[in-house]
Amino acid sequence: MKSNLSKQILASILCIVCGFVVGLIVMLFITITNENLDFSNFLLGIRYLFSGPFSSSSLVTIKRNLGNMIFYIVPLIMTGLSVALAYKTGLFNIGAAGQFLMGSMGSLLVALNIDCSDNRGLGILVWLLAIIVGLICGALWGAIPGIFKAFFDINEVVVCIMTNWIAANIVTWVFSTQSHLINIPEGKSAYLIKTGGLGTFTPTFGLDKLLPNSYIDGGIFIAILIAAFIFVIMSKTKFGFELKACGANKSAARYAGMNEKKNIVFAMAIAGALSAIGGSLYYLNSGIELQYGSVYANLPDYGFNGIPAALLANCDPIGVIFSATFLRYISASGSRLQLAGFNSYIAAVISSVIIYFSGFSRLFLELLSKKKKKDEVLVINDIDVGEKDKIPINDENKEGEK
Amino acid sequence: MACDTYMSDNYIIEMLNITKEFPGIKANDDITLQLKKGEILALLGENGAGKSTLMSVLFGLYKPDFGSIYKNGIEVTINDPNDATALGIGMVHQHFKLVECFTVLDNIILGDEDTKLGFILKKDARKKVQDLMDRYGLHVDLDAKVEDITVGMQQRTEILKMLYRDNEILIFDEPTAVLTPQEIDELMKVMRNLSNEGKSILFISHKLNEIMAIADRVTVLRKGKLVGTVEKNKTTVEELSTLMVGRPVQLEVKKDEAKPGKTVLEVKNITVKNKDKKSAKDLVKDVSFYVREGEIVCIAGIDGNGQTELVQALTGLNPHFSGEIIFKGENYTNKTIRYRNSHGFSHIPEDRHKDGLILDFRLDYNEVLQNYFEDRFVKNGFMKFKEIKEYSDKLIEKYDVRSGQGSDTIVRSMSGGNQQKAIVGREMEREHSLLIAVQPTRGLDVGAIEFIHSEMVKKRDEGDAILIVSLELDEVMNLSDRIYVMYEGEIVGEVNPKEVTIQELGLYMAGAKRNYYGGEVL
Repeated sequence: MKSNLSKQILASILCIVCGFVVGLIVMLFITITNENLDFSNFLLGIRYLFSGPFSSSSLVTIKRNLGNMIFYIVPLIMTGLSVALAYKTGLFNIGAAGQFLMGSMGSLLVALNIDCSDNRGLGILVWLLAIIVGLICGALWGAIPGIFKAFFDINEVVVCIMTNWIAANIVTWVFSTQSHLINIPEGKSAYLIKTGGLGTFTPTFGLDKLLPNSYIDGGIFIAILIAAFIFVIMSKTKFGFELKACGANKSAARYAGMNEKKNIVFAMAIAGALSAIGGSLYYLNSGIELQYGSVYANLPDYGFNGIPAALLANCDPIGVIFSATFLRYISASGSRLQLAGFNSYIAAVISSVIIYFSGFSRLFLELLSKKKKKDEVLVINDIDVGEKDKIPINDENKEGEK
Repeated sequence: MACDTYMSDNYIIEMLNITKEFPGIKANDDITLQLKKGEILALLGENGAGKSTLMSVLFGLYKPDFGSIYKNGIEVTINDPNDATALGIGMVHQHFKLVECFTVLDNIILGDEDTKLGFILKKDARKKVQDLMDRYGLHVDLDAKVEDITVGMQQRTEILKMLYRDNEILIFDEPTAVLTPQEIDELMKVMRNLSNEGKSILFISHKLNEIMAIADRVTVLRKGKLVGTVEKNKTTVEELSTLMVGRPVQLEVKKDEAKPGKTVLEVKNITVKNKDKKSAKDLVKDVSFYVREGEIVCIAGIDGNGQTELVQALTGLNPHFSGEIIFKGENYTNKTIRYRNSHGFSHIPEDRHKDGLILDFRLDYNEVLQNYFEDRFVKNGFMKFKEIKEYSDKLIEKYDVRSGQGSDTIVRSMSGGNQQKAIVGREMEREHSLLIAVQPTRGLDVGAIEFIHSEMVKKRDEGDAILIVSLELDEVMNLSDRIYVMYEGEIVGEVNPKEVTIQELGLYMAGAKRNYYGGEVL
């Protein structure tokens, strides 16, 4: 098992290296074809790409960049965990974006409607309530594709995509002036007030003193704690064992008397709750406001970036912390490419190339273990176990099932 | 140059001193195999003896660590299956590699199509295949889709695929494992035809009767080493089994008279409707029978006569049926799978990959698949991995489950026979009073079969009720105390193995004889 872990880490690192190589090739190509850029821009670009938040010479700026980076890691960890947990149960949760929005909505409805600007102690209680409401919203939202999958055998990906857009529209309506569900001060049409002025934001545990002028708050601790919690659930408990069994072989899980329908719904609900906490922690920051007007057109990319975060970590909950950190580091560095003279869209392309390459972790893992795996499969095989679906005698079984 | 050409009498293929090592196991250790032109050479060995590895070396799937391969006395290197095909080596895999939604003809020419301007010349291909079918007596409906034809026909398609490519050396990897007795007879005839026509055949098997029926010579492997090559005419089944297992094997099950006690399982009027509305035929039709403690009851029948569906109803895998299941006086008809499994049922499933195992899990997790939730393995919701491993280690030792890393092994990497032993061990050792076993010895070699049969008899003598569904007539005749025969979803016969002959049993299985109506022998 040890060598397995090191192989997984190696695969993830290979992904990253390949992403960088392709990203650099794109950058080089752009440098050559754009007459406004020359080789010095390219070298500067590389420097920005690698140095990330540390690229400034001023300590104040570095601290601010670092604080912001850590803050933005939090939602990515949560959506990454959400995708990873569903994946382990054999489900592809592409609905993290919608769950993220529903969580944000639930939390903000609480946090923005209760003014605790005079009493921070009460504010923290309201904050806790906001997180719980958000979590419930996300769990219920996540359970929908789970229910469709378990009871009607409808592919979760299809339902997830639909629920994503339904969520986007619901959230846009809820926060618009038409719904009257929230107090919107005059002059704030497309933007909402922040939780900062209401005292219902996430506690900072002094991190704001350490890295001043940044968005940083205690969310990072919460995210890491939750990652550890999910790790324990998945690898140590009976519940996790059942989830993994359902994910690895649904019919065997059924044969073993597990309730696979219940497990599918639970897994999706928990995945939804995790994404929702990501949304809550993001918008309950004192400095972040929900631009609901844009939600209608663009689903938040945290939901989708959860997928590479999970895949790069090979769906290991602890690994997600590191992969999320890496992905955020790259996005932050990518946006700095503009300083080296690259167009902001091109900068986005380069960082996206690196990010999406990290989704190939599985491929690299397979390549790494291909030879070995092939050997293993046939080592002492007198009966080829690789072709499990082709045993003709089972066909009747399958028909009977359906 | 002497080392390049190695002259010898008429060997078409020679594999000399092949050694292949994998982490933790030497799969082939200095094995030499020589195939004469036009002969049928059987490769015999237990599960895990290294037969498949050796064939994979010949087929270019593995590179040997040491050793060389000669064809017609000339040394060759085979790096991948394409090289093997170019040398005229073809293989029928145990699990067929066919495209199910293509027709038979399309499957045969797939990958070797003659084209003109990008169009496939099917007419020529059809003629060539037709000629081959006539020549070897291998008839298949070329326009039928593979998914619609029987397993035996699918196998013929595979054979035609090899012949279409003009292969001279044909490897059959356990070809009879998926066939009915009649289909096996047909296959034997085909193989004999092929060898008469000059094809050289390598026949991988661990079924001694088949080897005695068809092979010219037998090469025996044991635990990765060559035991020897013997002429068929100069050996016996007993000698072969001793060579293969390394000790004399009891081929007949040794058991005393059964002393049946109270009725444990009572099945009343079970009917399973066909999901396909077009077909009005019920898959299981008004089946009633009983099993008592201390007896082994076999359900015999040709594959596909409702046995699978009956077992699915009994075990709860398919809850959509009518009728009643009474277990020790309690109505189990609507009980959940978990309730059945934790209140007296044990179930060795028909399909070990689909139902019986989680292939990507470790062996020890699989060994507790049916009782991982018991208090001895769980505390406050947390799994007790140490206890699980200890429990699994005991099972592995008792049932001789061979694997690379014991309890830590990922089950997918184990051989089919050892996977089966892992399941049998799990289900037999669990607390139960009724064991439902579907083809419990499928894919196992004589040594393992002997062991499992004797364990079952032991369980019977301890008072277990045992219900076995088997397609192997030998197993049915040997092991059972009572036999029910299923035909087209109905139980058409109840017979005593001591009074019935195999021929008579065959008549029941074919629907030509009947003595059982609605739960009573008439």
